[in-house]
Amino acid sequence: MRDKVVFHVNGERVEFIGNPMTRLIDVLRDDLGLTGVKEGCGEGECGACSVIKDGKLVTSCIMPVGSADGSEILTIEGIRDTPKGICITEAFRDGGAVQCGFCIPGMVMAAYALLEENHHPTEEDIRMAISGNICRCTGYDLIVKSVQLAAERGGRLWQ
Amino acid sequence: MAVRNYIPETLEEALELRRDEHAIPLAGGTDIMVQHREGIGIAPDVGKPVMIISNLAELKGIRRRDDGFVEIRALETPASIASSDIVPWHVRQAAARMGAIALRNMATIGGNIGNASPKGDLPQPLILLDAEVVVASVGSERRMLLDEFILGSKKTALRDDEIITSVLIPEKEFTHLFYRKIGTRRANAISKLSLSAAAVIRDGIIEDFRASSGAAGPKVIRSREAESLLTKRQVSEIPDIADDFIAAWDRAISPHAMPRYRRNTTSRMLLHFLEALQDETLTGIIG
Amino acid sequence: MSATRIDDRIVRVDAMEKARGEAEYVCDIRFPGMVYGTLVRSTVARGKILSIDVPALPEGYSFITADDIPAEGRNELWMIAKDWRCFASGDVRYVGETIGILCGPDRGMLSYLKKHIAISYEEETPAVTIDEALALKGGPIAGEDNIMCSLYCEKGPKMDDVFRQADSIFEETLETGFQEHVHLETNSAIVRQEDGRFTFYISAQCPFYVRKSVSGLLGLRPEDIVVKQTTTGGAFGGKEHFPDVLAGPLLVACNKIHKPIKMVFDREEDMLYSVKRHPSKVVFRTALDKEGGILGIDGKIYYNCGAYLSASYVVLQRGVFHANGVYDFPATHLEGYGVATNTFPSDAFRGFGAPQTLFAIEMHLDHIARKFGYDPAEYKARYFLRKGGETVTNGHIVEDVKLPEMLEQIATASDYYRKAKEYGIGSGRGIGISFYNHGGAFTGNGEQAIIKAHARLVKEGSRVRIEVGSTEMGQGFQTTLRKIAANALGISISQIDYPNPDTSRVPDSGPTAASRSTMVVGKIVEDCAREMKERWDEGDFSVEKEYVHPEGHPWDQDTFRGDAYLGYGWGACIVEVEVDRLTNEVRTVGIWSSHDIGKAIDELVVHGQVNGGIIQSLGYASMEKMENRDGRFRQSSMSDYVVPTSMDFPSQEWFLVDNPYQWGPQGAKGMGELVFNGADAAYVDAVERALGVTVVKIPIPPEDIEEAIENAR
Repeated sequence: MRDKVVFHVNGERVEFIGNPMTRLIDVLRDDLGLTGVKEGCGEGECGACSVIKDGKLVTSCIMPVGSADGSEILTIEGIRDTPKGICITEAFRDGGAVQCGFCIPGMVMAAYALLEENHHPTEEDIRMAISGNICRCTGYDLIVKSVQLAAERGGRLWQ
Repeated sequence: MAVRNYIPETLEEALELRRDEHAIPLAGGTDIMVQHREGIGIAPDVGKPVMIISNLAELKGIRRRDDGFVEIRALETPASIASSDIVPWHVRQAAARMGAIALRNMATIGGNIGNASPKGDLPQPLILLDAEVVVASVGSERRMLLDEFILGSKKTALRDDEIITSVLIPEKEFTHLFYRKIGTRRANAISKLSLSAAAVIRDGIIEDFRASSGAAGPKVIRSREAESLLTKRQVSEIPDIADDFIAAWDRAISPHAMPRYRRNTTSRMLLHFLEALQDETLTGIIG
Repeated sequence: MSATRIDDRIVRVDAMEKARGEAEYVCDIRFPGMVYGTLVRSTVARGKILSIDVPALPEGYSFITADDIPAEGRNELWMIAKDWRCFASGDVRYVGETIGILCGPDRGMLSYLKKHIAISYEEETPAVTIDEALALKGGPIAGEDNIMCSLYCEKGPKMDDVFRQADSIFEETLETGFQEHVHLETNSAIVRQEDGRFTFYISAQCPFYVRKSVSGLLGLRPEDIVVKQTTTGGAFGGKEHFPDVLAGPLLVACNKIHKPIKMVFDREEDMLYSVKRHPSKVVFRTALDKEGGILGIDGKIYYNCGAYLSASYVVLQRGVFHANGVYDFPATHLEGYGVATNTFPSDAFRGFGAPQTLFAIEMHLDHIARKFGYDPAEYKARYFLRKGGETVTNGHIVEDVKLPEMLEQIATASDYYRKAKEYGIGSGRGIGISFYNHGGAFTGNGEQAIIKAHARLVKEGSRVRIEVGSTEMGQGFQTTLRKIAANALGISISQIDYPNPDTSRVPDSGPTAASRSTMVVGKIVEDCAREMKERWDEGDFSVEKEYVHPEGHPWDQDTFRGDAYLGYGWGACIVEVEVDRLTNEVRTVGIWSSHDIGKAIDELVVHGQVNGGIIQSLGYASMEKMENRDGRFRQSSMSDYVVPTSMDFPSQEWFLVDNPYQWGPQGAKGMGELVFNGADAAYVDAVERALGVTVVKIPIPPEDIEEAIENAR
């Protein structure tokens, strides 16, 4: 039986002692100060809280911290200064993907997860990859184009 | 407020917890964390002990067994099920349309069955295929048809000392397959209605015919009575049988909300499938 | 640093900090000693409060109600009207009405305590729909007839004479439902005392509205309260007046407990207990000649206002003034009624009353056209307003109307005429079209008589700071306004600062609403910038100016006659669909739009607004169903109230026509709402044609299309 949860967030070891049903998002935001992770719905429907767990996109608002035991979690804070993160965020800026911005860190994580698996996504691939990330402002076209831009610009970065 | 929650490290520990504390198993969390959410900054409180079994390696894996079954262990996710070549087509279709990517990375087949929501995506094709579920408790194991395991809306035959460990799907070749999920939107959607159908046609005879309706009643609906109207009959007889078959299916389903839409759409989809069976140029997946 | 010109392609100034997750929204801000607040709300739609039983509260927790409003304060939120109470007292009028605010350090404990506050009611019968309210179900809620506000306007010959000459009369009722804003950032605010003044950090469109609305609760003047807008994660009208409903209880509580208090709605609260778009019911009776030509239209327009007036009268006015669409009919008689019901008050939502009547008139014309065998585009084009044409308020269109050119653009791009003929009616494929407009800025002389907007530029060395009350909420105003100023100053946009407004530091530029910010505030900033440029060598100084109303726009607010708007944005949209005949699922295969917004200040910002407005409108038409039973919203989450995902609609083709507006900065007019106003009707037209059905109510998810098909039989 585990008496504590041990995992890595953006490469740093984290030990959590307490109720393992605590939502991962609350640990990330409140305990670790990673406020780039946003809460939009609290039920895994909107994607604003998306983080990457062991390479897979997950919604941290419906994941108990206990499920993260032994895992590697990446948040926006962990990728934004890496070449890949810079590539995506700059593409989002240049492509006009950002309006109110609340969905955007989660959207960046979804784009990151996609590009790690699929270096040359089609428009359809991108639309599918971000379909769990609700944006109420943009109508998605410029987000899709920005992800395409990141794929093109990144080139070898994604190989 | 002060119940204890656990993270067992082995299946054995989990089964003991289940026996001793009747702890609720949390696999992906995508149902429990939503149903019991309390708001921002507050841990969900189920009111009973929860055991988080998300990372139990013993409950992972998809394999073809040598007894004619495909086994999917309880913690496999829709994402892995959808991308597995050995999983039967209908199940892959349903898995690929569950929620959106993040949910498909988190949810589990065991959870989707155990939650037994009428709108759950996986039970519908599994029941079509006569899938069985294996449940374990300390020192014993039971195996039963999923259709019998799910008793009704949010009700199953799972005892409070048992854990779902795997799903067994008999392998079977069909000549005609159909799957549709109608969601609240085109992606990231909850099912408004779903239908699977499958048939085996050889030499003009309907050797096997089956269908299953999701979100059209308190649990997945298969009507053996309706299916039996078609099995072992000639394809050429379908026009004469179709009306009775559709009427029988319509009697079997019991949609609560949107009854007219759910009934009419189910009938249209079934008729569409029956028409395809009569068209010799159409086999395989019916679009 | 080179000077930024208006046609330069630039990037949004706020994009990077938002993409990097560094922008601070209310939810991200914490103060030492801060506690949390949560609202305790009515659970019945109508009734008397018999008792409120509060369990013993642990140390550090408090429950604050109307009784905590000091003697010098009044229990009212001053929006446009003052009828909305900060705290229900004695009775409740809708489900979710604030009864009290519970404050304390631990959110889990607050949630526990909230469940243990027992409020008992003597329940009364609520009226929830427009029809129930008009039938006075449960007795009147407002006045004697439940009509909270009303107006009418007429144009051309008397209706009796018009209808006497008619060859036939076409009458129908068109309805629209509730719509929820679903801004991704929920409503949220923090209050605390700073330097002796109550200070809000709040997600809001209109910081000056907040201080005006709540100051009276403590008997204070608006300027005694400081409101600092924080990065706002979407608003769409939902944060125009509604932040007052959070700020009021927070202020009363802070006055009592003297600690910083933070309140962030979770999504369920934001869905169930926030304002919505007004449901509407429009009855059109149209007098037609033998060929189906329109002699005159008599319209009765009903908006469901909910339990308090709030901004509804102004919303209704805009609805009535847009009920003729983009058309010049020989005669119109339009009556508008704002109906009181026991639902959560309806309030501002992108379009502000115009989308409902624009939808109604578009569908009405489609149905008449189809009845007489005309193509809707050709039929509608006959009636396009032109420069000099008379509006329904006996005002005149003072600008060139480019609708024919816009129609040509999208008809060509979409191959509309060929498809319209080839697909025919009932083939499963359909192409639909709509036209729409949006009057810029406040209705009538509101800008001049009520708002009197101010803006200020402050020069410090080589940098210039914009000081206005206008807010960025995602629409791009931080970028647009900086660009206007940089262009006029002849300096680089990187030399311009524009901090989020703080009411203690900036002049009141009026609300960020009514598509007025670029057109009105942008113009004042541009004028300030021009003067600053001339005096550039004077060292450090500031320039402040007040809005100047253009001459020659008569308006009488008592009779609603004259130029209701100084200018309009115009739009045309085509939507193509394929309907799955098995399931009635609609797949949209093409979206084409053209808009006249005067002049685009920044094309990338405009592109995003066009795309987003159209998808919001398509969601409104197709899937966004918010039902209310017995005063309770049935959709409480983002899984049962669904808004479009990236998979629901295809990428859009869009056009702009250049039509510089005389009184806007660089020729720009408003556009934020315009782009919401018409795609819904094009979509429904396309579905109607694909299936050969008549739709009179949105939204139309597949199950409602099923009903329409059954009804057509």
